[in-house]
Amino acid sequence: MSRPYVNNRSSQGNVGRLRELLRKSENRLCADCGAPDPKWASANIGVFICIKCCGVHRSLGTHVSKVLSVTLDEWTDDEVDSMVEVGGNSFANKIYEAFIPEGYSKPGPDSCHEERLKFIRSKYELQEFLKPSLRIVSLPGTGRSGTGKSSLQPSLSRKILDSFRSSNSSTETEDGMVEFIGLLKVKVIKGTNLAIRDLRSSDPYVILTLGQQTVQTQVVRSNLNPVWNEVLMLSVPQNFGAVKLRVYDYDTFSADDIMGEAEVDIQPLITSAMAFGDPNMFGNMQIGKWLKSNDNALIEDSIINIVDGKVKQEVLLKLQKVESGDLELELEWIPLDQ
Amino acid sequence: MGILFTRMFSSLFGNREARILVLGLDNAGKTTILYRLQMGEVVSTIPTIGFNVETVQYNNIKFQVWDLGGQTSIRPYWRCYFPNTQAIIYVVDSSDTDRLVIAKDEFHTILEEEELKGAVVLIFANKQDLPGALDDAAVTESLELHKIKNRQWAIFKTSAIKGEGLFEGLDWLSNTLKSGGG
Repeated sequence: MSRPYVNNRSSQGNVGRLRELLRKSENRLCADCGAPDPKWASANIGVFICIKCCGVHRSLGTHVSKVLSVTLDEWTDDEVDSMVEVGGNSFANKIYEAFIPEGYSKPGPDSCHEERLKFIRSKYELQEFLKPSLRIVSLPGTGRSGTGKSSLQPSLSRKILDSFRSSNSSTETEDGMVEFIGLLKVKVIKGTNLAIRDLRSSDPYVILTLGQQTVQTQVVRSNLNPVWNEVLMLSVPQNFGAVKLRVYDYDTFSADDIMGEAEVDIQPLITSAMAFGDPNMFGNMQIGKWLKSNDNALIEDSIINIVDGKVKQEVLLKLQKVESGDLELELEWIPLDQ
Repeated sequence: MGILFTRMFSSLFGNREARILVLGLDNAGKTTILYRLQMGEVVSTIPTIGFNVETVQYNNIKFQVWDLGGQTSIRPYWRCYFPNTQAIIYVVDSSDTDRLVIAKDEFHTILEEEELKGAVVLIFANKQDLPGALDDAAVTESLELHKIKNRQWAIFKTSAIKGEGLFEGLDWLSNTLKSGGG
């Protein structure tokens, strides 16, 4: 599959430069709350931050902070240059936290949203802890307006927010999010000796279900040995179950008839792929197996292979709850790196 | 406030139910819009690495609203959710003018998808509360909405934080869906 979506951003060399910067020990903690292993960054401010602080940065608007994921986004040369130029969290904090009042307590990894919001706003939007000569915001009502120019932060947003949005009370709803761990491509190759549901033949098609997603193949007319060779995609959430597969006979004037079903356990595929990591690091080899047993629909052991840098699995299934029929699939696992 | 909501786990599609996808670049405000519609509140969000799904009952239509993550590498996952979609809500950060070109490209790529050819499109020119936000006319031009063919669409200026424009958009959507569009 080629990437279905456009992007105008360059990538490969940038990823390396960015990861190198992220590996520096000072960048192993969030610049704002100190949480370990930050994977997000503000490209214009030049700091690496955790996902919770990232949520706050995003709420301030891109005129204050332009947030990108180190792993999920593609970076332009300019964005990486700006991060490299700032030089990482400790240098950035020397500027943004230079005049932090004595006894002021920074938020910690477990701080609530309100605490983070207050601190991050003070630090970047109002720039309250900056060396006074560098301050570039004017605070309404204080009568003080900094006119100093920051030569250190060429990409830093200089716009002044003269009116703040009312701060809204917030409710955490993070538990509502279903997180993806990767993309499963299922190539439905062919069926063999499928059951007859019309007079002499059937018009079979295949439906796959994972959680709340349902995808299906085209209908092949009057064929008990249909060849689909069709690739279907499912996104895989963190708590995934088995992929349920059903074969139906398409009927124009009545409800479609079932022609058998089977479950595909995708745990072996995902577990072995995760155990090996980046498949591009390995030549073609077998990395796992989903074993045939009495309580699954496999006709033979299903082998998981690395093939040209891709993790693939061939699956041959005996359809269940039906008089006859086999189905051949090929699975491919594409992890979402975070 | 007249909005009933329930979390829906099954996918029953009766007469007065519509499946809606909320799409757009990262940090456009999709999750904030979803929960503003559903709970009438502003929630603090973190980036969605996956999806949120909620049901919003409005104008006698039950909207099953899918909010899909917008980060670059999550966008290819959107198409897993395209089948059986009646409407797209495309959300744009109107103040992030640097990325309007990317927003435009993604938008027109979506419209080319065969599985979405019957879907109506509602565009939210969001973050009108931020300084420098472009208005609906400017966003219409940036997204090249005049290029949309054979499809009902509308654009609304919104501020999810202030709650402005969202239900006007949903009014348009429910009227359009009731009259057979999508």
